[in-house]
Amino acid sequence: MDISKAPNPRKLELCRKYFFAGFAFLPFVWAINVCWFFTEAFHKPPFSEQSQIKRYVIYSAVGTLFWLIVLTAWIIIFQTNRTAWGATADYMSFIIPLGSA
Amino acid sequence: MEMRLNAASIWLLILSYGATIAQGERTRDKMYEPIGGASCFRRLNGTHQTGCSSTYSGSVGVLHLINVEADLEFLLSSPPSPPYAPMIPPHLFTRNNLMRLKEAGPKNISVVLLINRTNQMKQFSHELNCPNQYSGLNSTSETCDASNPAKNWNPWGTGLLHEDFPFPIYYIADLDQVTKLEKCFQDFNNHNYETHALRSLCAVEVKSFMSAAVNTEVCMRRTNFINNLGGSKYCDPLEGRNVYATLYPRKPAIENNLETVHTNEKFILVTCRLDTTTMFDGVGLGAMDSLMGFAVFTHVAYLLKQLLPPQSKDLHNVLFVTFNGESYDYIGSQRFVYDMEKLQFPTESTGTPPIAFDNIDFMLDIGTLDDISNIKLHALNGTTLAQQILERLNNYAKSPRYGFNLNIQSEMSAHLPPTSAQSFLRRDPNFNALILNARPTNKYYHSIYDDADNVDFTYANTSKDFTQLTEVNDFKSLNPDSLQMKVRNVSSIVAMALYQTITGKEYTGTKVANPLMADEFLYCFLQSADCPLFKAASYPGSQLTNLPPMRYISVLGGSQESSGYTYRLLGYLLSQLQPDIHRDNCTDLPLHYFAGFNNIGECRLTTQNYSHALSPAFLIDGYDWSSGMYSTWTESTWSQFSARIFLRPSNVHQVTTLSVGIVVLIISFCLVYIISSRSEVLFEDLPASNAALFG
Repeated sequence: MDISKAPNPRKLELCRKYFFAGFAFLPFVWAINVCWFFTEAFHKPPFSEQSQIKRYVIYSAVGTLFWLIVLTAWIIIFQTNRTAWGATADYMSFIIPLGSA
Repeated sequence: MEMRLNAASIWLLILSYGATIAQGERTRDKMYEPIGGASCFRRLNGTHQTGCSSTYSGSVGVLHLINVEADLEFLLSSPPSPPYAPMIPPHLFTRNNLMRLKEAGPKNISVVLLINRTNQMKQFSHELNCPNQYSGLNSTSETCDASNPAKNWNPWGTGLLHEDFPFPIYYIADLDQVTKLEKCFQDFNNHNYETHALRSLCAVEVKSFMSAAVNTEVCMRRTNFINNLGGSKYCDPLEGRNVYATLYPRKPAIENNLETVHTNEKFILVTCRLDTTTMFDGVGLGAMDSLMGFAVFTHVAYLLKQLLPPQSKDLHNVLFVTFNGESYDYIGSQRFVYDMEKLQFPTESTGTPPIAFDNIDFMLDIGTLDDISNIKLHALNGTTLAQQILERLNNYAKSPRYGFNLNIQSEMSAHLPPTSAQSFLRRDPNFNALILNARPTNKYYHSIYDDADNVDFTYANTSKDFTQLTEVNDFKSLNPDSLQMKVRNVSSIVAMALYQTITGKEYTGTKVANPLMADEFLYCFLQSADCPLFKAASYPGSQLTNLPPMRYISVLGGSQESSGYTYRLLGYLLSQLQPDIHRDNCTDLPLHYFAGFNNIGECRLTTQNYSHALSPAFLIDGYDWSSGMYSTWTESTWSQFSARIFLRPSNVHQVTTLSVGIVVLIISFCLVYIISSRSEVLFEDLPASNAALFG
């Protein structure tokens, strides 16, 4: 969908929908929201809905960043401790590497 | 028109000619030359992983022939173009050398090839000095002392079978293939060592990737794992079948609507080991390490059947059991003891009442018989029974009437050989277990070279009737020192002693075991399963393979050939001919239809059956894998074994190829950028309508 052709109220509606959808443990939706509406929020000449869009974009960016930090930390912790955790780590995994601990 | 037809026919001719002379060979097939062999693989127990594995996509190493020990130094002290794949003959495949290669790491040594050049080989056994040390009666040095060759059961053992190697080990038996490897090494590698890094070298690639890792606990957990979406199997428990048969048929468990729960039968338990093992998949006959005992066991069973009346007057019977998986911490006998304790042997489906330990008078376990002039009767405690049996054995062994001229010694101590009896003694040290075992002289214990040559077996191939007992001085034109005669002598002595124990009367006959039966038995198990004895014990007209049966226990779904043949063999030899029953009525056990020696078919009343040889560790919920209670051996799964040789380009060559590729990539990006930014030069006269499209 080419966002530039949509009317401004429609843009706001979409941005809000994406922002709330992100709360369903969907950080990628927030990340998409940020990319999609970044120009609308910060680079376009001001229009009435822009301040709200800007807010949603900033919140989505914060959420994405939060998820990014949490996931990165978890992945590092899990991968470095997977073998040490033994059975617990196996029960958490869907794919277990072949031929190694 | 004619011209055109002519042209077409000429084209057709050229095409068909081209098709016949052009060999459509793929580049891949031109690059690689396959090498046939057998691979070492990974086994796991409760605490460790042992054996070998390649990397996921296959391990590659430059061939290097090791003729003398000094050749290894080249590989171990900064080799010019690592990783290498040493080709090692058996006499240099020692613990010291292999551990040095292991230490050098997979970066330097990526593959080890064992080549079948045996002319300097003096010994080759990779089992431990104390086989099954931690699953026997106890693990003290009294039973077996690994550091003292006089006090252990496999003085030549290197223990490499229980090491974990970071590289695959591949055994190449075919001498043509070995020559091919050596030629490739001579042509491409064995000159100008200083330029190794700069030129193409003959290399081998071995694929034998193993899925399981760490130990049985981990791989069984992962295999049984509920989240295991791919359904991938990491390992399988070693699993097979014990085969048992009784001398006399037993009464059914339910008779006149009354179920026998506790039978008052009395049994003498005669046992031996069915399986053997080696380091390499699918190779190894275990001729001396377990087949000798198994041969004597079978002959004792047959001789007793022939000497004793077809039905017992009282309740004395003999239970013959051959245990599977004994090489791996006594799998078969541990399970047998476990089942018997729970009154689950024989299983309900056999329709016979369960046998308890109270029903067993004593056990006579036939262990390894490397050197029959040095057989000892072992027992944990010097009981009167042990003395009595020893006297009886020696009575016949030394008797001038039979001229066996053997002397059975005795040892009543905890220095017990690693045989099935240890599983019974572990449960109860006062169990009456006697073990017949010879002093260890087998230099090829549990190895690929424990074959017909190791026991010096030559097939007499007489085609004469082997089912009849013979007179003691009828050697059937066999050499008195031949293996067949040794089996005849030992089994006759044991059978006579058991005869006396069962009947209470001395054996005074002159009939002994037939050495031709030993000849046929050994031929079947060492050279070809397509043999008269197996044919006689099979259904008429069965097609048998001409390879000897595999006697490694393997896993569920493995071949289980040896237990199948043993089942039929014990069925045939311990059964009663039923001349009045027609073939059509001879379908349900205990009736069984055999081809018989004359291959005309005969119905017989049999007593044989299987019992499950799977370690109790896999039955007990929440079993503590490191407890050492039961055998925990599993075998890793793998997808393929393959090896091939090819010319591996030098590192310089590989780096150059990669760099050229990267440079071409970068240049092409630049070119595309330049062209697209100057596109108006190329596409000057775009019509207005198209300009809108591409603009």
